[in-house]
Amino acid sequence: MTDINNDINQTTSNLNIVEPDLKIEHSLYSQLSSEFKDKVRLVYTKPNRIKISVEPEHIIEVAFFLKNQLGLDHAESVGGTDYPDENVIEVIYHLNSYSREELAPIILALSTKTDRNSSYLPSLLPVFKSVEYHERETYEMLGVYFQGHPRNERFLLPEDWADIPPLKKEFRIKGR
Amino acid sequence: MACGGGQVKMTTAPKDFRFGSFVGSIVWLLFWIIVIVSLVGLPLIFIILFYIPLPYSNGEVITPYLFLSMIVDPTRTIPIIKFLIHTDFFRAAVFPGFMYAALIAAATIFVERKFLAKMQLRIGPLYAGKIEGIFQLMADGLKLMSKEIIAPSGADKPIFWTTPILFVATAAALTALIPVAPGWVVSDLDVGLLAIFAILGFFPLIALLFSWSCNSKYPFIGGLRALHQMIAFEIPFILSALSIVLLSASLNLTDIVEAQYAFWFFAIAPISAFVFYISSLAELERVPFDLPEAESEIVAGWLTETSGMIYGLIQLGTYLKLYVLAALFVILFMGGWMGPQIFPQELIPAFTGEKIYNATVVNGIFWFTIKTFGMIMLILLPRGINPRIRIDILLHTGWYKLIVLSFINMFIVLAMIYGGVITPGGLQ
Amino acid sequence: MTNKYSESLDSKFKETTNLGLEVVKEASEDRLMKLSVGPQHPGSGHFRFTIKVDGDYIVYCDPDPGYVHRGEEKMCEYRNYIQNIPHLERPVIHDSTNITYSYSLAVEELLGIEVPRRGQFIRAIASELNRQVYTLYWLAIYGIFLGHSTMFMWPTGDRELFIDLLAALTGARVTHAFNIPGGVRNDIPEGFKEKCLEYIKYFEKRLKEYEDIFYNNPLFRQRTENVGILPKQDAIDLGVTGSVLRASGIPHDVRKVEPYDVYNEIDFKVQYMKTCDSFARAYVPFLDMRESCNITRQLLEKMPESGEVRVKLQSNPKGRIGEAYKRVESGRGALSYYIVSDGSSKPYRVKISVGSFRNILALPHLLVGSRLGDMPSIYWALNYWPVEADR
Repeated sequence: MTDINNDINQTTSNLNIVEPDLKIEHSLYSQLSSEFKDKVRLVYTKPNRIKISVEPEHIIEVAFFLKNQLGLDHAESVGGTDYPDENVIEVIYHLNSYSREELAPIILALSTKTDRNSSYLPSLLPVFKSVEYHERETYEMLGVYFQGHPRNERFLLPEDWADIPPLKKEFRIKGR
Repeated sequence: MACGGGQVKMTTAPKDFRFGSFVGSIVWLLFWIIVIVSLVGLPLIFIILFYIPLPYSNGEVITPYLFLSMIVDPTRTIPIIKFLIHTDFFRAAVFPGFMYAALIAAATIFVERKFLAKMQLRIGPLYAGKIEGIFQLMADGLKLMSKEIIAPSGADKPIFWTTPILFVATAAALTALIPVAPGWVVSDLDVGLLAIFAILGFFPLIALLFSWSCNSKYPFIGGLRALHQMIAFEIPFILSALSIVLLSASLNLTDIVEAQYAFWFFAIAPISAFVFYISSLAELERVPFDLPEAESEIVAGWLTETSGMIYGLIQLGTYLKLYVLAALFVILFMGGWMGPQIFPQELIPAFTGEKIYNATVVNGIFWFTIKTFGMIMLILLPRGINPRIRIDILLHTGWYKLIVLSFINMFIVLAMIYGGVITPGGLQ
Repeated sequence: MTNKYSESLDSKFKETTNLGLEVVKEASEDRLMKLSVGPQHPGSGHFRFTIKVDGDYIVYCDPDPGYVHRGEEKMCEYRNYIQNIPHLERPVIHDSTNITYSYSLAVEELLGIEVPRRGQFIRAIASELNRQVYTLYWLAIYGIFLGHSTMFMWPTGDRELFIDLLAALTGARVTHAFNIPGGVRNDIPEGFKEKCLEYIKYFEKRLKEYEDIFYNNPLFRQRTENVGILPKQDAIDLGVTGSVLRASGIPHDVRKVEPYDVYNEIDFKVQYMKTCDSFARAYVPFLDMRESCNITRQLLEKMPESGEVRVKLQSNPKGRIGEAYKRVESGRGALSYYIVSDGSSKPYRVKISVGSFRNILALPHLLVGSRLGDMPSIYWALNYWPVEADR
């Protein structure tokens, strides 16, 4: 996992583009780090993209800070990725802002990790109303139980779904 | 035969099929038909003929044998036709009554589809029949008849089966009150206008009965909507016709038409005519007032559980109703059958002596049909240009706006009568 | 009932009756009728939501999508970057160029390639034409949902114009598979520019007629104005996107705020309205169509006369280790792909975030408290495409 993210800066430097001005991205991170010190870890910054990683116990306070202080007011997408080798599931909230115009192009990826075998995460529903259905989807697709979410229920899958969550890597499509 | 020898062949004949037994069964069937007809049918016919007074032709009683001889000379059938035309049965079932209305209804359905298609840059029915899909309606009717009728489980079966028939019967009862030409009306009531409104009042009841008997939610909501809608529009409907009653001083529809010999009442009561038109749209559940059948909200409203010929019958009833309301508009506001005489007094000289052709009547029928059809087109028109209205706006329109409008026109008419500009029954 | 919307329901009946609490609950349940809208209901498409009505008012709504769930995200993990394109456009075949657009952008970032300039222009043209196709189809269904059959027939007919253009451009009427990582599949055919300009000129004339018969119709206005108000702050909190967001007074369009490919060279306005009601949500896509005509014309003018349209890729290209998040503005709002690559030729994880899925969150908020007759106008104005939301 860490290898992946270290390589990302190398990837972007190979592109033949003008060296991007990452002023806003860096200022976002500096505000975060001055508030939370080492609780927040920067994974990468790219033009208009910034990814930070926090531990599950700090995610609600970080999310509150992001929403109230920095103005990132809604989640565009909530997705999870399964890493069986490291025995973790990474859940990423892609946050964006409608209320601050200069932040509109920025996507801040707030990622956190949970154990693969007993996946529990605090729900961000008290902070972002927009994650309601996304978290339900993540629950049924990856089996991550969001504590504090009123409905950790089936959403997209059939009513009689009794298999393991389909986006886990050990779930194989038949014949593939 | 077909399946013999152990070969697997695609065939519909049963395994023990034998051609001889097939022919034998047909012969057996024919035998029984002949036996029953000769022993039961023919005696029955003669018993009936014994009691029924047969028409006279040239001083002779027309027996069935004489009737057959008339094939040789077609003019001899004229007395029979004349006799039949003057029976009440003919009037109720064929000419000013059911058949004529059903023909106009059928024409309406076809014209509606073509007319709407042209408005929407489409072609419309095209393939059934050689010319522009003229047999589309026939094909649809055949399809509906051949479909299975599904009654929902838990439905109140007797009501479920009888209400479609009641619906058509009520609509057909309305056609009996419409005067088509001078003297051509099934029942010339003195309270014809009131009778029409009274019979129209049955429709919400039928819709509610049917929707209740279906034991389903969408029809139930649709039936309630139909009830709301028809009650809300009943009052402006009657009020708008009231100014015509003031003008003609009669409730008899024939008298109302004859009071318009000089000018149409539309000239004096245009606001009433507008209210009448809007109310009849609502009464007919047509766009923009098709709430009881709003398919995006309540599937098909109170018609959701109809299938096969039950749906066909209700559609027939609806279009009969459409004809009646268009005809009523023509009678009340557009002078009924009144129009310039364009038919000659003698159509075919050979028939002169028989008096089967009456120039005034044919002229009246012609103008009445033309006007009614124009009115039907006007009722069809909003379907192409308007979306559906919402129930609260609909009720507000019915109870607040249209009632006030019809009162305004009534006061205008009253003022004109008291002012002496016109008297009841025409200009002074 | 475990839903949070049930609270508003209970309080409603406590006001109307003076009985004890438990009796109130039973009595209130008796008054209600539970209606299932979809998936076999003509007013919903491949989507189901349960509503409870008290008389004519909706007091409860619970969306239940998933009837056309295909597992696109799982399927992506089994196919390589090029093989993924045809199945990824299946969720919304009427807007297939846009749904593969952001996928191509994300994969290009992972592969580290840049699209030739002419290829970028052709992509943008195809995407604008396809947006028109989608919006016309959406408008047609909106028309028939409100019982306006002419508004169903006209847009479905005029949609053929753009389908013709796209068929000439890509070779297929609906599922184009035109955008690929590295550019577009083929160059534009001869005479395309003139044909396109002619069609757009005709279409702009038709748009005026749409406005006359539909948007300026007093009955349509009565039905949609002041119906289903989604205030600005609620729109932000619920994270809605596309025309729903712009109808609530926020001029947010990905083409403007984060221009991809050549959109920073195009001069256009973001169309938005401040009335926040169903009418605004129905009118903004219409304004977008008009703006889209303008954009297409500019794209055709500025397009280089000749040049490459795509980069030659090696067969079975391998993405570099890392992740990419790219979004475009589709007919239903921001459409974004989050792709994680582990260095092989197949993506490790693909997450598709679609506008429909984000907009449907607003449905219970808008429906509770509105009339049953407003249900179709509120629901379809959310610019929801059930198949896309299920993926």
